Amino acid sequence: MNITDFFALGSACFGILMLGSVNLRLNLFLYSLQTLFMALATINQSFKQVNIEMYFICIFIIALKALFIPYFLNNVLNKIDIQYDSNVMIPTAIGMHISILFLGISQLLSDKIIQSMPSIDSIGGVTAAISLLFTGILFMLLRKIAISQIIGFLTLENGIFIFGVSITKGLPLIVDLGVLLDLLVAIMIAGLFVFRIKSSFEHIDVTQLNELHEN
Amino acid sequence: MKYLLISLQIILSLLLPLLAIGIIRQIKAKLQNRIGPPLMQPYFNLIKLFKKNQIFSHDSTWIFPLSSIINLSIVLILSFIVPWLPFNKSVFSGDIFLLIYLLALMRFFTIIGSIDTGSPFSSFSTSREVSLAVLLEPAIILALLALAVTFKTSDLFQIFNYAYSLDLIKIPVLILSASSLFLASVVEFSRCPVDDPTTHLELTMIHEAMIIENSGLNLAIVEYTYSLKLLLFYGLIAQCLTHCILIILNLSILLQSILCLLIIFSLLILTSLIESFSVKLSWHKVPDFIAYALTFSFLAVFAAIINGVSL
Repeated sequence: MNITDFFALGSACFGILMLGSVNLRLNLFLYSLQTLFMALATINQSFKQVNIEMYFICIFIIALKALFIPYFLNNVLNKIDIQYDSNVMIPTAIGMHISILFLGISQLLSDKIIQSMPSIDSIGGVTAAISLLFTGILFMLLRKIAISQIIGFLTLENGIFIFGVSITKGLPLIVDLGVLLDLLVAIMIAGLFVFRIKSSFEHIDVTQLNELHEN
Repeated sequence: MKYLLISLQIILSLLLPLLAIGIIRQIKAKLQNRIGPPLMQPYFNLIKLFKKNQIFSHDSTWIFPLSSIINLSIVLILSFIVPWLPFNKSVFSGDIFLLIYLLALMRFFTIIGSIDTGSPFSSFSTSREVSLAVLLEPAIILALLALAVTFKTSDLFQIFNYAYSLDLIKIPVLILSASSLFLASVVEFSRCPVDDPTTHLELTMIHEAMIIENSGLNLAIVEYTYSLKLLLFYGLIAQCLTHCILIILNLSILLQSILCLLIIFSLLILTSLIESFSVKLSWHKVPDFIAYALTFSFLAVFAAIINGVSL
C-alpha cells in the first residue's frame, strides 16, 4: 500500500458514496472530492516517475474537472430548479452495496491484470479504476435524470484516467489535454441540452423522452 | 501501580459518563441561545431519582427490575473490556467477540424488560428497536472485525497498543471503522437524525418509550447505563482516530491521553451540532441511514482484506 493506492482507493470510496445519495448537489460535491483525490494520486504517481508534464495535467484536472465542471453543473441545477433525483430504479442503499460488491470484483480483476503485466506497481490504482468504471455505469443505469447521467459519465471518465495513469508511464501532455478539452466541451453541450430539454419537455427524465410531445 | 490504575478507572467510569451527557446538553443549549441546565445537572437528576419511590406496573414481574440491574452489570463489565480510556491498556484485556455478545445480551435484557411491563408504548418501541438492531448489528460487528483482521488479534487492548510504525494501510481501516461506529452510535443511542432523545412524543420515540415505565432507582440505573455505554462507544471511536494520528506521529503516553480525551470531547460537540442542525428522519428513511454505517464497515472490511493480500 503506497500513497498512490491510498488516494486512488479513496476516490473509489467517494464514487461509491455518490451512489448513496439522491441529492444532486451532494452528488456533485462528492464527484468533486473524488476528482481531487484522483488528482492527488496522479501527482504522487508523477512524483515517483519524475514526469513534469503530469503536474500540468493535474493542475488542469483540479481546475477543470474538480472545480469548474461541478460549478457549471451547479449553475445548470439552479436554472432548471431541480434538487433531487427521486426516481431511482433500486433503493440507493442497495445500489451502494452492489457497488461495494463490484469493488471486490475489481480487486480480483486487477489481481489478474497485475499477474499478466508485472511492471505495474500500483494495484490499488487499477482496482480503483475498474471500480470507478463500474460505479459510473451503475450510476448511469440506476438514475433517470439527465444531470445524473452526466455525473455518471464523468465518474466513468475518471476511472479511465486512473487506469491510464496507473498502468502506463503517463500519456503525452497533448493527448491528455485533448481529452480534457473534449470532456469540457461535451459537458457544456450536455448542460445546454439539459436546459433545452427542461424548457421544452418540462422534465428531464431520460426514460420518458421517447414519448411524443405535443406542443 | 496496577491497583491505582484500576481504582482510577472505576472512579472515572462513575464520574465521566454523566458529565458527557451534561456537555452535550450544555452545547445544545448554547447553540439554541438558551442558558441551559448546569453541567452537573445529570448528577443532580441522578441523586433526585435515588431518593424517589419506585412504582411498578401491576402486570410486570420480577424480570422488569432485574433487567435494568443486569444491564448495569453488563455495562460495568464492558467498561473494563473496552479500551475507552487511554491509560488502561497495560492492565486489562478484552476480546472483540465478548464485546459483541455482551452488547447483544444487553439489548436482549432491555427488550424483555420493556416487554414485561405490558405497556403498549413499550411494545411498539421494542419492535422498532429490534428492527433497527437487526440492521445495525452487522455494521458494528463488521467494523470491529475489520480492526481485528488488520491488527491480527481479537484483543481490543492489543489492537490499540501496538508499536509505532508507518503503515499507511491501517489508516483507512481505522477511519472507516471509526465513521461506521459513529454512525452506528447515532442509531444505537437514538440521537437526533434517527430519534429525538428530548421529545416524549409517542409516535417518534424509540429508546425513550422503552424505558418509559421505569421510575426512581430503576430509572437512575437505566440512565447511568445509557450514558456509560455512550461514553464507551465514543471512547472506542476516539481510540481509532487517535491511532490514525499515532501512525504518522509518534507521541508520548501523556500526549496520547490528552489527544484521546480531546477527540471524545469533539465527538460530543459533533453530536450536539448534528442534533441542533438536523431534522429527525422519517421512520422509513432510517434504514437508509443505517445503510451508510453498513457501507463504511464494508469498505473497512475491504481495506482490511487488501491489507491481508498485499502482505
